[in-house]
Amino acid sequence: MTEREILTKKLSSYQFAIADMKLYLDTHPNDSETIKKIKEYSEKLKTMRKTYEEKYGPLTMNDISGNRWKWIKSPWPWETEEAD
Amino acid sequence: MFVYEKKLQYPVNIKNPNPKLAKIILSQFGGADGELGAALRYLSQRYTMPLPELKATLTDIGTEELGHLEMVGAILYQLTKGMSEKDIKAAGIEDYFVDHTAGIYPQSAAGVPFTAAAIASKGDAITDLHEDLAAEQKARTTYDNILRFADDPDVKDVIRFLRQREVVHYQRFGENLRILTDKLNEKNFYAFNPEFDKKCFKNQMKKR
Repeated sequence: MTEREILTKKLSSYQFAIADMKLYLDTHPNDSETIKKIKEYSEKLKTMRKTYEEKYGPLTMNDISGNRWKWIKSPWPWETEEAD
Repeated sequence: MFVYEKKLQYPVNIKNPNPKLAKIILSQFGGADGELGAALRYLSQRYTMPLPELKATLTDIGTEELGHLEMVGAILYQLTKGMSEKDIKAAGIEDYFVDHTAGIYPQSAAGVPFTAAAIASKGDAITDLHEDLAAEQKARTTYDNILRFADDPDVKDVIRFLRQREVVHYQRFGENLRILTDKLNEKNFYAFNPEFDKKCFKNQMKKR
């Protein structure tokens, strides 16, 4: 795995855990332990996102930095690394 | 509103192209029990749902299904990437190629184009939740069927992830059904349509 793949996987793991807990909360809205866990994971995710975007470009079109349009520069999610 | 994030929900990194396998996985892109149908089903049903839990679950699962559609698309793209005319012939997919070349088109494995006729939005929360529970099981069976023919670990790993999500969604829809029926007349859940006859809730104060 490349460095980018490793970071993407880590980022995705946290995102996935948060998304799955949110879905659980839709039917268990009073589970404060889960809400606490989401907050904890979200803090970690924030740092990871920042590292990722600084290294590999914006994750959403809202994440603009610098004076170049980086959105079209990074590979698309369906492309594998060798393809580029 | 939807904001696109430039990454997959779960990584897809297939090293060995296999157009023949792509032909059967295509069903989960545009087939009757595929991810496109799933997203449209839930994102259509949610508007008239009578309870906030139901609106939230349908919105969130519907959104996740769009992410799954993208993952299945990525599998199809990577399995057919760089295929030659010889590969197409060997895989027996000339029929697909003649219409779409190597483009990704929503249709079933048997070639039926995506149709909204495969989904339902009945405007009755009990009916729609049963549709959703069945839909998750149908998708789960389709993934199980795909796993019978997939021998590439890169593909199997992603299909297993998607299969597992169907099971989790089934669980959440089951909880939704219970939340709903708990608020209805326990002597006869079907006395009213909970989406249309707003006064059917026990305490008649659920105007949320």
